[in-house]
Amino acid sequence: MARMAFAVGWPLAEGQPQLPLVFVSRHGETPRTFSILSELAAKQPLSPTQFSLSVHNAVIGLWSILRGSTCEMTALAAAGDGFEQGVLEAAALLAEGAPAVLLIVTEEQPPQVYGPWIDDVPFAYALGLLLTPGKQWQLAPATTAEPSRHGALPHGLSWLKAMLTGCDSFTHTWMRRTWNWHRQL
Amino acid sequence: MSAPQQDLNRDLKQLIIDALGLEDISVQDIDDEQTLFGEGLGLDSVDALELGLAIQKRYGIKIDADAKDTRNHFSNVATLAAFVTARQAA
Repeated sequence: MARMAFAVGWPLAEGQPQLPLVFVSRHGETPRTFSILSELAAKQPLSPTQFSLSVHNAVIGLWSILRGSTCEMTALAAAGDGFEQGVLEAAALLAEGAPAVLLIVTEEQPPQVYGPWIDDVPFAYALGLLLTPGKQWQLAPATTAEPSRHGALPHGLSWLKAMLTGCDSFTHTWMRRTWNWHRQL
Repeated sequence: MSAPQQDLNRDLKQLIIDALGLEDISVQDIDDEQTLFGEGLGLDSVDALELGLAIQKRYGIKIDADAKDTRNHFSNVATLAAFVTARQAA
């Protein structure tokens, strides 16, 4: 997971030593967690490395160490609409005066045993976005009466697809939270 | 150095590489006398715990993390090999 996050984030952060980072992952390091739990079940001693890398803010910790960056960093785990929650967090940092914010959304392919519970990770992925203040897009939250889920792809990837195909507006729904994206003309 | 000693040194180097996921270096890159922690190979405290665990599992020996001489045993591959040999004989 750290590798994926770094692969997408590093080129975007080039030349910006103090770039705030919002890291989003719903499920985190499930392969590491599962490995630790398996060792625990077998009454084996636990790997300190696995443990230190399994916590949710491990990736931003590594990012901070390797880049020598001490600026603001956040690690979020926010249900199925973590992408929008991350954008919101980044927008708040921009509103506070940050010239740019790096947003990384990533999920690891979970071990098979989690299959019955994790059904929103079609494949391991990482999405990196360098966000700057502007008025090109508007994101508005709304509430829907009936809980539902929209689309086959995770929101971040669905958003990317919409961007690449030139969509001007689209909607993502997670449970009762709806996010309306509009390109400002 | 005897052949079994050389084998043990090589096995320990491979164990260090495997247990700590050091993908960019090979057994040939680690000298017997090279400092493992801080300077030298540049391992840190989490690496020390991980390596201790791997050695205990592999060689079936017990390491007391709080013992004063444990730090000395982990200086380099040669001291580790001497430690493992002594413990296995005990």
